[in-house]
Amino acid sequence: MYTIGIDVGGTFTDLVAIGPDQGAVFAKSPSTPSDQSLGVMTGLAELAGKLGLDRSALLARTTRLVHGTTVATNALLERKGAKVALLTTEGHRDILEMREGLKGDRYDLRTPPPEPLVPRERRFGVRERLGPDGAVRIPLDEASLSEAIDAIRRSDATSVAVCYLHAYRNPAHEIATVERLRRELPDIYVSRSSDVWPQIKEFERVSTTVVNSYVGPAVQHYLGNLERRLAEAGFAGSLFIILSHGGMAPIEEASRLAAGTVLSGPAGGISGCRRCAELLGVADLIPFDMGGTSTDISLIADGRAMLTADAGLAGERIALRSLDIASIAAGGGSIASVDAGGTLHVGPASAGSQPGPACYGNGGTAATVTDANVVLGYLGAETFMGGRRRLDRSAAEAAVGKIGRALGVSLEQAAAGIHRMVNLGMADGIRLMTLRRGVDPRRFAMVSFGGAAGLHAVEVARELEIPRVIVPVAASVLSAWGMLASDLRYEVGRTSIGTARVGAETIRAVVAELESVAMSRMKAWFEGPVRIERSAEMRYGEQIFEIDVDLDGIELAAPDLVEQIDRRFHQRHEDLYTYASPDQEVVFVNARVSAVGDVPRINENGAIEERVGTARPKGVRTVFLGGPAEVPVYDFASLGPNHRIAGPALIESETTTILIGRTDSLRVNALGWLDIEIGRG
Amino acid sequence: MSAMVDPITRSVVQHRLSSIVTEMGEAMLRTSYSQILNSSRDFSIGICDTRSRLIAQADHIPVHVGALPWATRAIEARFKDVVPGDVFLLNDPYHGGSHLPDLTAFVPVFAEGQRMLWTIVRAHQSDIGGATHGGYNPQATEIWQEGLRVPPLRLYEAGKLRDDLLDMLALNVRNGRDFRGDLAAMVGAANLGRRRLDRLFGEFGRAMVEAAMEGILDAAEQQARQVVSGWKDGVYHGEAFLDDDGRGRQDLRIAAKVTKRGSDIEVDLSDSDPQTESFVNSSHANTQAAVAMAFAYLIDPETPKNDGALRPLTVVARQGTIVWADPDRPVTMCTSHPSNEIVEAVIKALSTCCPDRAMAGWSRRFRMAIQGEDPRNGHRFIWHMFQARPGGGASPGGDGWSSIGEWHTAGGIKFGSIEVAEVRFPLHFRHHEFRADSGGRGQHRGGLGVALDLELEIAKGALANTAGDGVRHGACGLLGGEDGAPHNYRLLSAGKPPRPLKTKEVGIVLSPGDVLEIRSAGGGGWGPADRRDGAALARDRVQDLTTQELTTDALRREDLTTDTRKDM
Repeated sequence: MYTIGIDVGGTFTDLVAIGPDQGAVFAKSPSTPSDQSLGVMTGLAELAGKLGLDRSALLARTTRLVHGTTVATNALLERKGAKVALLTTEGHRDILEMREGLKGDRYDLRTPPPEPLVPRERRFGVRERLGPDGAVRIPLDEASLSEAIDAIRRSDATSVAVCYLHAYRNPAHEIATVERLRRELPDIYVSRSSDVWPQIKEFERVSTTVVNSYVGPAVQHYLGNLERRLAEAGFAGSLFIILSHGGMAPIEEASRLAAGTVLSGPAGGISGCRRCAELLGVADLIPFDMGGTSTDISLIADGRAMLTADAGLAGERIALRSLDIASIAAGGGSIASVDAGGTLHVGPASAGSQPGPACYGNGGTAATVTDANVVLGYLGAETFMGGRRRLDRSAAEAAVGKIGRALGVSLEQAAAGIHRMVNLGMADGIRLMTLRRGVDPRRFAMVSFGGAAGLHAVEVARELEIPRVIVPVAASVLSAWGMLASDLRYEVGRTSIGTARVGAETIRAVVAELESVAMSRMKAWFEGPVRIERSAEMRYGEQIFEIDVDLDGIELAAPDLVEQIDRRFHQRHEDLYTYASPDQEVVFVNARVSAVGDVPRINENGAIEERVGTARPKGVRTVFLGGPAEVPVYDFASLGPNHRIAGPALIESETTTILIGRTDSLRVNALGWLDIEIGRG
Repeated sequence: MSAMVDPITRSVVQHRLSSIVTEMGEAMLRTSYSQILNSSRDFSIGICDTRSRLIAQADHIPVHVGALPWATRAIEARFKDVVPGDVFLLNDPYHGGSHLPDLTAFVPVFAEGQRMLWTIVRAHQSDIGGATHGGYNPQATEIWQEGLRVPPLRLYEAGKLRDDLLDMLALNVRNGRDFRGDLAAMVGAANLGRRRLDRLFGEFGRAMVEAAMEGILDAAEQQARQVVSGWKDGVYHGEAFLDDDGRGRQDLRIAAKVTKRGSDIEVDLSDSDPQTESFVNSSHANTQAAVAMAFAYLIDPETPKNDGALRPLTVVARQGTIVWADPDRPVTMCTSHPSNEIVEAVIKALSTCCPDRAMAGWSRRFRMAIQGEDPRNGHRFIWHMFQARPGGGASPGGDGWSSIGEWHTAGGIKFGSIEVAEVRFPLHFRHHEFRADSGGRGQHRGGLGVALDLELEIAKGALANTAGDGVRHGACGLLGGEDGAPHNYRLLSAGKPPRPLKTKEVGIVLSPGDVLEIRSAGGGGWGPADRRDGAALARDRVQDLTTQELTTDALRREDLTTDTRKDM
């Protein structure tokens, strides 16, 4: 029996199958953006072929299929979601557009404000009001709701979001509203804030609910299609979707909580890195995923991927907990420029895949990071992507040459400058991320994956004094591979803030209720073992940022429950911000419970043959490392466990190229992965 | 230029400096204690050299930034024996500061035995002592009534905290523990910056970094001059008015005479009105900073805001005027007023000089704080209103931002959750939406203010204080655009006529069931209203942002215009 992971990217759909007897088998097929399920079905045929089966035979023998989708991501990025109407408490219809009074660039007073996902003419106030304790101050006015429903009808909206003030405390008005909407507008997608994110803070809640209604119809439609196609092709196992928090869930759940799928794609890569951490016995890793237009970085500390509640995408706030991924606008396609003051910049503009870097020969003339890498000799014009895409070296030289002339330096110096600047930008991103999390990057190892990462990971690590970089064999398909190592996860949270201190009884009652909700949901999905994770979001009285406090290991029945939780909070605060204030009032804001269904791990690697002797380069190339240098080039596929290589060297595979410098060295580990030790440079 | 530096190294050093100030700001945000810092982010970060030139800054509060070199000058003038591990402080507006609540910490950075730079953190304290909580005292007639004055002083001596001095400072503010926490965060952030700069010097060597910094300043100067030289030469005049000084004097005038020649700009504020008796006066450093802020808004947003970028600018003022008060006058209002009016006068003057850059007026500040007792638990509370943010000005780029703030904060202050406010304070936000018709009309409309109806759910009387301006003068329209609506705050009590609130009042008595009817100001409009696009007019109507009927002329334009803003 097989399990299959499928990651749909912008260009390629990656597939991985793990069977009973062999290690992971990979396949790649072009993505089909208009209906991603077509590319998935083609890819499955390709994957079956690699296993010597036809598609229906493979699907018939597949028990679990795990899928990362970018349908919600793309709908949001390209602004192609549903036409949403928003129902709010009367007198509060501008929360979404006010954005809490914040604006980005402080010195740009000429760029007009962004368009909200729901324009004001589709935001309707409904007469109702709850107090901060959940008590009804103004009952839901049915006549006012009727007017709003008529207005929705007239507006041609295809989706509705409902968000009333204090509904996290008492969902009755939202539930009654949704019941009427379902009855009177049966074809419309509806989400309510007390279901999507039942927590205090109205901007976060309304924005998250609106995003859910904005991407929901597209996600629901796509997953329905996919399920049908798979069933027609003979699949009878379970289909799970990776959510932004890194766990997976059945498709009904992904359709209900569509806003929770916007990081479904990169989440697979993080799961893959977490699996790497397990296999390597390393607790602290920095996943470093550099692609064509951006670099995604995140943290795995003590073997766990870090989660955040501060996430968003495309300028829209999504408060659902998700993997803490910082996306930096720096990739192979990032464009270099020289400003009026003669200063070199790289990015944020990107040549994207069209026209792409100048060296792709698709009409691009701007100098990109990839062009600089060609000029420096790091990318082989003939061997790039296994020779499937020949690179035009003279076009790269022409583009980078323009930068050199603007700076008054040589072609190679300009290229080296571009390489250096993009590395600095990525190192800064990692440093800020670790600073925010209160950890020191020097204790981490970096995992390099994504097509463009291999030429930059070592220099970025050196900049941060990170001692070790790992390049897994599956680097280019790590997301699909990682999906197979994901667990089922259902998260539920509840705001318990009060004007008085929250007592032990309240905490016990809230947590018990959340646990029963989460357990019953998980039991419906999964028959295996389920464990519960508990946490709280807390702050000091006068603060406004809550921090996550892990409650695992605290006995709920303990008589000193509140004191134990407070101690955890003070400790966590000190870890993060270097101080605690034990004499201050501590506020317990949200309780949170996750039910996790532990999926059994499979041996995804199979047996790897031990290589004897020394690694042999396939050739030598002249590259620029401060000056011209002859550097050996190795074929990744020819390397095996215990091979050692001293830098400088290039390692090429079909999907990526890795550069190590003069003071670096690498060892191939038992899994066949590159384990690079970073010298001081 | 001194030693040789290649352009790549210079770019790398510039990038490093900017990431260092960003990290310092992040550390400050995460470690500071009081709400005004960790929520409202009222702090700024900079790096200056020993010649007091601003080398790098992080984009936080624009009005702080141009003031940092003046503060550095005061430290340099007072201390000649600086050693590693020293930390200095100041706040006094007559010794390099802007106003008393803004406390500034300085940490020296050495390289190869020589003192090179200062890392600087300026943060608005939640209290600085004096007669009223929070430092805004409309009744002050001399600076001692505004709070604790801190001249340049040494807080750490070669790494050793002078704790007796810290005790004295902390004792003279109302919340000593918060003060200590915030100060520790400031010093921590400045030290973080120093450590990162130590590494930078270690990597490139002192001479190379020094040369790179000169190059960075020269490059910013070149960028700024290139922009300015494209503007039309001439002598321009602009003026802006404050409502009053809170003691009966009205229509206080800021006059800017701006001379633009080649790539140089001189701003002469000498004709501004005489100083006032109250806290509506500017310190010298604050006026310099306000003009620098106006200039920064007009050049390219990407140009680094450093000493080089400000080199084309000269500021002239006369002591004894509202923009440069005589020693010992109160000045606490100055970072908002007259800062906002100074910016407005300068940008108004330049509106015909660089019409494709000048933006219409952003709103004035009208703050309010309420103190009373929460009947739900008997606790005393003090609530500062950040809701009902006013509107931003329209610009050649488009309509203004609604509910975004004033010139001097420009979208940098977060107003926070209404739900959280209702949980924590006995307040009921009955209504909080855009205020129709508040944005100044124009080809591009000013951003809207907010209409807030706030019910007080108190059982005993409470007291409110106000501090601000702008109930008579709205944010200015530009190049034919109309002014935004001014602020209008009223107190509604059962059985009494509505009572308009003044902008500088202490001890307004609030009774149970009272409603505060807050109508915050809108931003100014840009360009003549009759040139507004028909589709934009129709959209304003359908969104209830204006209540005015469309004229037949406008309707005709609407017919001719395709609605490009329709949803996909």
